[in-house]
Amino acid sequence: MTWRKILKTILGPIISVAAVIGIWQAIVVWGNVAPYIAPRPLAAFQSITSNWSTLWPLTSWTIKETVYGFVAGVVLGVAFGVIMSKIPFLARTVYPVLIMSQAIPIVALALPLVLILGFSLMPKVVIVAWIVFFPVTVSVLDGLNNVDKDLLTLSRVLGASKLKTFLVIEIPGAITPLFSGLKIGATYAVTGAVIAELAASSGESLALYQHTQAGQLNAAAVYGTTIIMTAIGIGWFLLTLGAEYLFTPWRRRSVARRSWRGARKVKAVTN
Amino acid sequence: MTQGELLRLDGVEKRFGETVALQQSTISIERGSFVSIVGPSGCGKSTLFNVVAGLLKPEKGDVLLDGKSVVGTTGHVGYMLQKDLLVPWRTVLGNITLGARLTRRVTPKDREQAVSAATRYGLGDFLNHYPGSLSGGMRQRVALMRTLALNQPLLLLDEPFGALDAQTRFEMQQWLLQVWRDSERTVLFITHDVDEAVFLSDRVLVMSPRPGRVVDDLSIDLPRPRTLETLTSPAFTDLKARILKELHSERNA
Repeated sequence: MTWRKILKTILGPIISVAAVIGIWQAIVVWGNVAPYIAPRPLAAFQSITSNWSTLWPLTSWTIKETVYGFVAGVVLGVAFGVIMSKIPFLARTVYPVLIMSQAIPIVALALPLVLILGFSLMPKVVIVAWIVFFPVTVSVLDGLNNVDKDLLTLSRVLGASKLKTFLVIEIPGAITPLFSGLKIGATYAVTGAVIAELAASSGESLALYQHTQAGQLNAAAVYGTTIIMTAIGIGWFLLTLGAEYLFTPWRRRSVARRSWRGARKVKAVTN
Repeated sequence: MTQGELLRLDGVEKRFGETVALQQSTISIERGSFVSIVGPSGCGKSTLFNVVAGLLKPEKGDVLLDGKSVVGTTGHVGYMLQKDLLVPWRTVLGNITLGARLTRRVTPKDREQAVSAATRYGLGDFLNHYPGSLSGGMRQRVALMRTLALNQPLLLLDEPFGALDAQTRFEMQQWLLQVWRDSERTVLFITHDVDEAVFLSDRVLVMSPRPGRVVDDLSIDLPRPRTLETLTSPAFTDLKARILKELHSERNA
């Protein structure tokens, strides 16, 4: 990518983030909002930097919950999607249960999990995975079920085994829809982690820190914590976007970057 | 060009419930020949193809390829449809070698063969392109290269040019004839287009529905190579007229 192109790509996000901060600043300043109700953006950011030694361990904890939960959710989601697409009977049986699982309010799920798993990292990871797996399952299932039937027929005519067809045709065909599910999951993951911290924490966590600061009317710290949580969410989404960019080159390029090395040689001979 | 029989359908009958999709049919296809099948929708053309490809098992009869029965088994023909069925995540080269990838392992020899064939037939500059960037005609060329790549002696082409515009279509027909001549394969070709059938073939089988069966079998003795002039020659027009009449009378019967 050229610098021009990079600038073009990131200019939009920069403008929109600047606009959000600008509006925030404008409302607080012109509306004469008291600092214990809503801080100025700068004060919120300063509350992060000046308390970083306290905040960083909590933040890394939240990142851990998000990442572990996301990975577990994706593994589970893909497994469910694959199994359900291959065994229609199981799909009909399991789908209602999966939908039911998503209807349970997360807060109501947290306490039973604490009873079972205690206040460790585990209940948070389980909750994040619980939220993430569903969109992944749905997207994988749709992706696998929508593979062109004629393509599967062609594969059969050529004499391919079911396993080969699955690996060479169906799995790559489901990658694009899979990433739709991953992007939804990535945005929900942090939300899940924070709710889990609130509902299933005894000790230190970003969510409880924010809770405590709110009790002390320290609005700057409350907003600062929200910014950190949001940043984790955005960061994780961008990583997912980056993975999509890497793993689906055919969607943005017309020519493959890595070519088979022998191609040029053979061409030279035949010419 | 005629070195004996490659494919033989022996009293093949295929039913779907009460419907006789293909009535006891005996067809013999010479090795190296180009045979087209024309007929209205529902005349059993595709059923015939699917029986030969092994996708459908007939109730009666036998399908012999090179003297061996291939009823109900797959992996012995090249097969191409109107839809090019290129996979978007594989390059042109990757699509041509898809058959090898699906059935065994892609060897350097597969790639070399694919590259040299693609280069010879005008795809050399597109080997590393993804199909998404190719035109319809180009995509069909890649699909045909893929169909050839497994080195099966018999190619089943089901209306491969049905979705192309008239001009591209004529180009593709000539291109197909060139590929066919060079590769010495046997082609079974389904089409709705009588011009196309006569222009390409050594033989045209006319089929009729309810029950699906072959009602006429014409030799096309037009000289090769066939060109634009072929399309307007009196012999061409006569053959076309005869097939059209056949199709028309069958439809009214």
